[in-house]
Amino acid sequence: MSPTGRRIGKQVLGTVIVLALVVGLEFGFEKVLPDAAWRQLALFAMVNVIVALSLNVINGMAGQFSIGHAGFVGIGAYSAAIIAGTMHASLVASGQSGADPTFANSFLIMPVALLGAGVIAGLFGFVVGLPSLRLKGDYLAIVTLGFAEIFRLVIATSQTGVGNQSGLSGLLAKLGGQNGYAGPDSTGVPQYAGPFWIFGAVILCTVIAWRMKFSGWGRALRALREDEIASAAVGVDPTRYKVYSFVIAAVGAGVAGGLLASMRDGNPTVQPDQFTFTYSFDAITMVILGGSGSVSGAIFGGVFVTFTVKMIEQLQGLESVQALKAAHPALDLNALRMVVYAAVLITLMILRPEGLFGERELFRSAKSKRAIKPNGAGDKPAEATEKEASS
Amino acid sequence: MSAYRNDQGAEAIAPSMVLSSVTKTFGGLRAVGNVSFTVPERSIFGLIGPNGAGKTTVFNLITGVYKPDLGTIVFHGTDLGPHKPSQIARLGVARTFQNIRLFGQLTVLENVLVACENRRKAGLFSALLRSPLFYRDEEEMKERALKLLAIFDLDGMADEISTSLSYGNQRRLEIARAMMLEPKLLLLDEPAAGMNYGEAEGLKKQIRWLRDEFKLTVVLVEHNMQVVMGVCEQLHVLDHGETIASGTPDEVRKHPKVLAAYLGEEVEDGQEAPEPPLPKHHGHGEEEPPYAAPETTELE
Repeated sequence: MSPTGRRIGKQVLGTVIVLALVVGLEFGFEKVLPDAAWRQLALFAMVNVIVALSLNVINGMAGQFSIGHAGFVGIGAYSAAIIAGTMHASLVASGQSGADPTFANSFLIMPVALLGAGVIAGLFGFVVGLPSLRLKGDYLAIVTLGFAEIFRLVIATSQTGVGNQSGLSGLLAKLGGQNGYAGPDSTGVPQYAGPFWIFGAVILCTVIAWRMKFSGWGRALRALREDEIASAAVGVDPTRYKVYSFVIAAVGAGVAGGLLASMRDGNPTVQPDQFTFTYSFDAITMVILGGSGSVSGAIFGGVFVTFTVKMIEQLQGLESVQALKAAHPALDLNALRMVVYAAVLITLMILRPEGLFGERELFRSAKSKRAIKPNGAGDKPAEATEKEASS
Repeated sequence: MSAYRNDQGAEAIAPSMVLSSVTKTFGGLRAVGNVSFTVPERSIFGLIGPNGAGKTTVFNLITGVYKPDLGTIVFHGTDLGPHKPSQIARLGVARTFQNIRLFGQLTVLENVLVACENRRKAGLFSALLRSPLFYRDEEEMKERALKLLAIFDLDGMADEISTSLSYGNQRRLEIARAMMLEPKLLLLDEPAAGMNYGEAEGLKKQIRWLRDEFKLTVVLVEHNMQVVMGVCEQLHVLDHGETIASGTPDEVRKHPKVLAAYLGEEVEDGQEAPEPPLPKHHGHGEEEPPYAAPETTELE
């Protein structure tokens, strides 16, 4: 019983430390990063880590090539924005809240918004996954890409400002079309997701992804990736596992979208242009760059890609950079960004085609989890110990 | 051991598997035509025939990779027709593959552990919570897996990536993985391929030992006649998807059609075939194994 006790003790201790950390970040984040642009970038990086972690389940562990992940992020973002916006409006109307989101109220709104975002994205994942996971490789990629683009274009092209519209088109018009959704009263989506929620969600998602990978379930998923026929021959139902992994990935993307929609210091409107193919592609880059199937790799990739893609963009706002720009008017930093990005990817493809981490993890050696060594316990069959001795 | 194994009780005479008039065509090619045979429970049954005879297709039909166009496959009273490959595996049909199909990037231990995934009591939820059940489950399975690996002499390399193993070890790992399913029926697709004389002798012993130890029925597809004649109790011979002979190894080896199929003689002349190239004591003599010629042309 003592190892179980120690395990629980460790878990409690870990939870307390993590809670202290995220609460500390919630209130101290502005002191750590005084620049709002940097804060936004850091939070966006964390959201992208969740996107990468969830995509890693389907692309890395299950080996299915999905290139429409932005669609699920978008569904989550819109769902959470609607839920959070509506709840916030009713709180304000009933006088329980001021116009500004408070940390206390975030405990009322964020769980519902994130749960809603996850469930709705998961449902879409199921609907898309069930038929399309009969497809393989490129064909699956096309379907997922198609789904994401359909989602984006349905919202982007919906007619707004036409007046009274009934039915589906009326509902879609409320989402704001190309201009984006800014809450029920168009004053912006309330920004409840501060560092507490975003860092908390990243830690929770990391733990979930880690435990999923190092469980029988993750093992079956990786086996499926290696050989579908052989895994079916040992009782692992490929369709079931694939659909499960697809739904889990969609739920993760939905939660990430929910956080993105209500991110503090972020964009207060949810716009369809945030969820283009480019974003899906960035998500794939995060997974591949970090190493397909690696949780550590997805985290690293999420942070790294966000910073490479966005950093120079953000830097343009800094005074020193603007001074530099004034001195050299020909310097196009945006173009430079793509050059740096491409150079990094090409270098990586040449030097480490399996990604930075491969399938390995930080803080974990292959042998550390071997709970039982053949000669460890006394209840082994005679022949096993015999062979141990002879070899 | 497992719950479902008990329902057979003592009636060991019952056939393990019955194939009735199984036919499978691929386009215009009749890969398996009207094949029927019965595999007695706890026997070692050999399915032989020249290259392209349809042996592996029969395995794929049994395991549900293909569905028969006609005919039925009944396994311990269950018609396998409507079942998916994963369900058939869970019913107790385990197999190995002619061209080894291991889970490449997984370790040796993980390869075996995947095969007990459907047995686990701890689902995904308790894995995420890391409940005590999860740890107990995982430890039980690791223990079972390591016992099995020890039987196949692979326990020393449990943490190695499976593709880094030698060819022979990979073949043995495939059998270990199949055994992790606790099967009632084990299908071995050319287990002796690429093995030398000594290794094949070891394999024969191992197959018999497995059958006795785990109360298995074994069906074997094999070109190596040293193994086939030495270990099989019953043989079924296919050629071009059709049954050409069946019976005990002694009956089959004298069968004119079998000789014709393997050595290219005219069927009519088969009866008069001069010296059937067979050893007096099949299987464990010092001479070259019989039917050496087809053995060297494994190009399937």
